[in-house]
Amino acid sequence: MFTPGSRYFVGLTGLSLVVAVLYMFFVGSADLGAVALFGLVATGGTIAGFSFYTRDGDAASVDEATDAAIAPAPASFWPIVFALGAALILVGLATNPVVFVLGLAVLLGGGLEWAIQDWADRASADSAFNSFVRDRAISALDYPGLAAVGLGIVAFFFSRIMLNVSKSAAPIIFIVVAAAVLVVGSLIGTRSSFRGAPRNLTIVGGAVALLVIGSVAGFGGERHELKVVAEEKPYEVANRECGAEASAHYDHHASNAVAAKSGIIATIIVEDGSLYAQMVGFPTKLHSITVPRSNNTNIIFRNKDSEEHRLVANLGAVKPKGSEVAVPVGTCTQLAGKNQDQFMTFNIPKPSISQTKPYTLTVPGVAGAIEVIVP
Amino acid sequence: MNADKPTTTEKTVETKVKSPRRRVLAMIAGATGAAFLAGCAKNAPQDTFVPKGENAHKIQTLQNIVFPIAGVVGVLVLALAAYIFVKFKDRGQAIPSQAHGKPVVEIVLTIIPALILTVVGVFTFRTVFDLAETQDTQLVINVTGQQWWWEYDYPTAQQGFENIKTPIITSGQLVIPVGTKVLLRETSRDVIHSYWIPALNGKKDAVPGRIHLLRLEADKPGIYAGQCTEFCGLSHANMRMEAVALSRADFDKWVANQQKEYASPEAGTLAAAGETTFINQCSRCHQVNGLKDANGKVIISAPDENVWAGAAPNLSHLMSRTTFAGAMFDLVTDKCRKEVWNADSDAFGAAYLKGTTESCLNVKNLRAWLRNAPAMKPMYSDPAKLAKTGGKYRGMPNLGLTEDDIDKLVAYLTTLK
Repeated sequence: MFTPGSRYFVGLTGLSLVVAVLYMFFVGSADLGAVALFGLVATGGTIAGFSFYTRDGDAASVDEATDAAIAPAPASFWPIVFALGAALILVGLATNPVVFVLGLAVLLGGGLEWAIQDWADRASADSAFNSFVRDRAISALDYPGLAAVGLGIVAFFFSRIMLNVSKSAAPIIFIVVAAAVLVVGSLIGTRSSFRGAPRNLTIVGGAVALLVIGSVAGFGGERHELKVVAEEKPYEVANRECGAEASAHYDHHASNAVAAKSGIIATIIVEDGSLYAQMVGFPTKLHSITVPRSNNTNIIFRNKDSEEHRLVANLGAVKPKGSEVAVPVGTCTQLAGKNQDQFMTFNIPKPSISQTKPYTLTVPGVAGAIEVIVP
Repeated sequence: MNADKPTTTEKTVETKVKSPRRRVLAMIAGATGAAFLAGCAKNAPQDTFVPKGENAHKIQTLQNIVFPIAGVVGVLVLALAAYIFVKFKDRGQAIPSQAHGKPVVEIVLTIIPALILTVVGVFTFRTVFDLAETQDTQLVINVTGQQWWWEYDYPTAQQGFENIKTPIITSGQLVIPVGTKVLLRETSRDVIHSYWIPALNGKKDAVPGRIHLLRLEADKPGIYAGQCTEFCGLSHANMRMEAVALSRADFDKWVANQQKEYASPEAGTLAAAGETTFINQCSRCHQVNGLKDANGKVIISAPDENVWAGAAPNLSHLMSRTTFAGAMFDLVTDKCRKEVWNADSDAFGAAYLKGTTESCLNVKNLRAWLRNAPAMKPMYSDPAKLAKTGGKYRGMPNLGLTEDDIDKLVAYLTTLK
């Protein structure tokens, strides 16, 4: 029943599976070795299936062998694609997960195409008919697949350009490109003279331009401020100093987030060395704010003074489980320069009456405090 | 006898069985009739077309302009469509001449809707901006939605309301002074809810992590009913609210009562035993400000450890309200409820400020709730099904209280005036 070739690969698959399971059990499922062994299971299983299906490629041994099966198979590049996928998987395992996923996609896509083509080549001795059979079976997958790959390529290269150019130039480029796509699409749809060579030339030209400019932008890297933020790592705990010390670790544009502008309960302001709060509905400067219990509370800190400041929230103290020593709870914003804003979110689960000292918002180096009242 | 001739019975059956078309028409006619009749309801506290406050009046004024225009347009379009369906029904006649490609008709049919939309748009935008006005706010109240009840807290430091010296926290019933521009700052602790008291204003979503503003103002004292209008889970339909409008003098009395210090029940009474039961069974989630344990230490509830959204209703002055469980149930008997709801403007404040007295207490409702809350209001409180929320409840669980415990708790809760 099983051909000699398929027996070998079935054995390899079974053995690999046993080793993979044992490896996963004794070493760990997240380990690279487990991934490699399961990759071997998948590869061995696939080849075993092919080998069994094709009777080790020995058409004469197939009982139902026909002229179609005996006829030499036409040239195909799918085995090369399949091999490329396998190579990418191996490279990916050693280098980068992205390459691994790409290799997996190429392997699966190439394998599917290869299998369908092999199946279609056995349909008859007429290669034209076989080609028709193949197209009928695979076109429904080919076109959406190619479209997805094409869109992915466009999105990838276009995003490299957008990340490279300045923030002010990005919208202009976006508008210009969108308008160009609209114009070209309209011309293709409405002008018969714009079909054939002019259309193809325009599309190919656009694609080449996108690839070239996108590649240059990709190698150029992201724009300066994105690099700076990435390097400063402002959200790492180690970089969240809450004292008066100066720090390079802060996000200069934290309050630019839409959420920060639309969901705040209060704005805390430092102006002329004094601290006060503003809340919608309260016409005067406040020195206490009331916030709901157990709820995420968003606050904007605005520094109107020339000296850099940060806002510090002193949110009481709690005793960790198993400890009798209370630990202060708090958070702080990063530094804000003159006329800069910073954003703060906190959640206070206990009412103010649970504390011996009030919850407060303070600014190191500035007198006074804003009391935070939790009913 | 002629076998082909239908018998009397067959004739009866034949006349009784309606065609599907007639059945559909009968259903449409029935539904339309029911909709019309619903408009005749006299006891409809959530009627959108009976404004009782400035903001609701503004919406009503807009409706008075937009609805007639929309109505006329709708009737014209439907009549025209009906005419076309009948007149040009396919009877094998030649295809009528087509309007396509006639610029005059197309331009007219573009300009007329544009003009109508412009008129509607002008009034709509004006109303939208009027409703968004916050500069003249007189009182701010924080409103927090949670599955499936509303919490209200009244911040301190408010000009004109200096008597709110310590923050007030309550739930179910929003108490506001009459003729005062009240700004609600809405948010949510779990999912999106929507706050709507139809008689006082339109609705506004309460979204976790965001503050949305909604202004209310009541013309005269009374209770105005509302309903959460954003589907928020299992008991969405049971997430109700009531806005209670009091005269300024009555509102000040209410504020004073809400800031009253806690007083323990007299020792040796059933209520005192109930206080102990409350401490053991309820204070893990429900805060009663000023309640102390046997060692004299103030008890701070920890709903954040037991409830998924992190809070449970504060019961400090429970009996100053007339509803509980997200305003779904009356704390008072039907008779007492009617006395409050039907009181005229002058008598309303006194009727409401009486709160839930012992003679008015709806013991049946309260006992049933304490006995098995999830049986009265659907909630996610089955311990076996709380894996998704890490064992935390959404709603109140069945505490398995004995009838003796319930007696004590009812006696204790009645003291929380």
